[in-house]
Amino acid sequence: TFSERKVRDSWSIPEATDSRAPVAAGLNNGHPSRLVSPSSPPTVVVAAAAAASKPLVNPRFQNLLEAPSVTMAKEPMRVLVTGAAGQIGYALVPMIARGVMLGADQPVILHMLDIPPAAEALNGVKMELVDAAFPLLKGVVATTDAVEACTGVNVAVMVGGFPRKEGMERKDVMSKNVSIYKSQASALEAHAAPNCKVLVVANPANTNALILKEFAPSIPEKNITCLTRLDHNRALGQISERLNVEVSDVKNAVIWGNHSSTQYPDVNHATVKTPNGDKAVRELVANDEWLNTEFISTVQQRGAAIIKARKFSSAMSAASSACDHIRDWVLGTPEGTFVSMGVYSDGSYGVPAGLIYSFPVTCSGGEWTIVQGLPIDEFSRKKMDATAQELSEEKALAYTCLN
Amino acid sequence: MPSKSLLQRLVKWCPWLLRDEPKRPVKVLVTGAAGQIGYAVVAMIARGLMLGADQPVVLHMLDLPRSRDALNGVRMELIDAALPLLRGVVATSDEAEAFDGVNVAILIGGSPRREGMERKDLIAKNVPIYKSQAAALQKHAAPNCKVLVVANPANTNALVLKEFAPAVPAKNISCLTRFDHNRALGQVAQKLNVHVGDVKNAIIWGNHSSTQLPDASHGTAWTERGERPVRELIADETWLREEFVRTVQQRGAAVIKARGQSSSLSAASATCDHMRDWILGTPKGTWVSMGVYSDGSYSVPDGLFYSFPVTCEKGEWSVVQGLQIDDFARSKMEASASELMEEKTIAYEFL
Repeated sequence: TFSERKVRDSWSIPEATDSRAPVAAGLNNGHPSRLVSPSSPPTVVVAAAAAASKPLVNPRFQNLLEAPSVTMAKEPMRVLVTGAAGQIGYALVPMIARGVMLGADQPVILHMLDIPPAAEALNGVKMELVDAAFPLLKGVVATTDAVEACTGVNVAVMVGGFPRKEGMERKDVMSKNVSIYKSQASALEAHAAPNCKVLVVANPANTNALILKEFAPSIPEKNITCLTRLDHNRALGQISERLNVEVSDVKNAVIWGNHSSTQYPDVNHATVKTPNGDKAVRELVANDEWLNTEFISTVQQRGAAIIKARKFSSAMSAASSACDHIRDWVLGTPEGTFVSMGVYSDGSYGVPAGLIYSFPVTCSGGEWTIVQGLPIDEFSRKKMDATAQELSEEKALAYTCLN
Repeated sequence: MPSKSLLQRLVKWCPWLLRDEPKRPVKVLVTGAAGQIGYAVVAMIARGLMLGADQPVVLHMLDLPRSRDALNGVRMELIDAALPLLRGVVATSDEAEAFDGVNVAILIGGSPRREGMERKDLIAKNVPIYKSQAAALQKHAAPNCKVLVVANPANTNALVLKEFAPAVPAKNISCLTRFDHNRALGQVAQKLNVHVGDVKNAIIWGNHSSTQLPDASHGTAWTERGERPVRELIADETWLREEFVRTVQQRGAAVIKARGQSSSLSAASATCDHMRDWILGTPKGTWVSMGVYSDGSYSVPDGLFYSFPVTCEKGEWSVVQGLQIDDFARSKMEASASELMEEKTIAYEFL
């Protein structure tokens, strides 16, 4: 049966990081190496080995111990992916297993959840994960049981949801997703590890996240987020194409609001790194008309454009952005950079509290903080209010579905 | 005396401050990029999983004109992902543009096997593709371009490529058997109930087909008792010769049965492993399997692309010498070599 045994106590955790670690030392997506993580003190391997009466570190890895920047083996983190048998899940799990989400020195145990009709496909994904011989992947749980899936997880990426089918009313989609997220909320609350970080991807992402939050009251509201990093990255990509610069030189776009067609991609605070220092995007583009119309609609409608070209929705870029979201949340944003996350509104920027709304945030020590004090012009204000309005309506609709 | 925090900061940033100048981008070509394996592999390449997280890349993606929209969709997604290492994306159906200046070429594009197709037909359809790609490779790729052929029949496609690109050193052309090698490690790990990272030195001999020989008899595994030969830990010749071999050989079919589609994730991952180890080197004491141009080692006929155990250093592979080959393995290895000779003959019929 695909519904495999609980994650293996019998999988031995090797005594040191993978022998590829010197290469992996650089494997941090272009960010300066963050191998020394503040949140997990290095395990003293030799002492632990002696205590466990196991042999000393595998001599293959011996030379790594001299390297000052290599940590001792970290405890594996458990990462849940729901809807794992689907397209985004398939793109996401190898990224997680390769350390793209949590760092190349962070072993992971994957928990994959999907619905019973997808059980065999899910087992196929598990087989492939085994076949790929990933050094960082310390275990795989493939299950249709939400309790088993949620047990002990430190990170939960909720990709599973009810997709909109042709002819479906908004209310019907909402109704189906509300019941899914209500039940997932109970499972997470009861079984996830303390301080589990949650990222909701499935649409309607903001409202699904809100339902999750409402029905998992013991999960701190700051730990429940939704994905707008994809739109954020798309905005950066559009600017880099327009200006013909490296996308890594563009930063500080903001996605405000709902992950829907009312989202507001805002480049008023965005900058481009140039030989003469950081310059404002608005100044370099020098075309407010384009920035206020075509740019916004391109980012808003990019998902549809991808479907038109590929005949499938964006899986790879969604998975990649989900990794970015979690990585920056857990490992911190670089200095001077902010990113977009859908988070529980505290009333900042005149946005009603009690909604999951996308804001500009910085992250440090595993916590996100809304960037305060950004000047908001008239044009932006209108856009931000419109998307807040839509979210309030979605919230009301969700509540009618519950009753 | 510096304050504690200043010292901490210095220690933290030292490696970053002392880092070399940013590397020049490497151009990587992926053919068949609009397909399933292509989709998975471009994402991995653009994240630095093939060449290292400090190595910027420019992706060249090639596919057929009829896949132009889908290929453009992949290009759009790569831009949308805002990947710091990705310095450019070229999406094209023109071979010359695709191969222009590439340092690494991953050839996934080919004519797939359809139901009822004989192997002969599969070879017939792929020979003209690889002949034409050979010309483009020789003419347009950067010197010392490293080539990995993934599309089946991989070994014979690699041979055709080599024959029609005589200016490209034969040692720069390889075909993928790392996929089966990784599967073999996974099966041994499951049998021993250890982590796959603790098993090494399986071998895949021969043709990337049903005559391949997955061989765990020279492998080792790290267990509670230290590093031990797999042969000692799995003291079951029958399992090693039969069930293990069968499981690895038929794994592809098992995945198709479960997923309804063939393995893309693990194929793409193995592709990255193959190229990464080739360019960045294998860890000390570890070998991997690559389909390479035979030099007659282990009495395998030369002039074929045959999967051997290899180590890699400074961008070059070398066949691991001196392994004892028992009669069972010898007969399997010869059978695979014979099949490859037959495929070579068939291929030449169509040229």
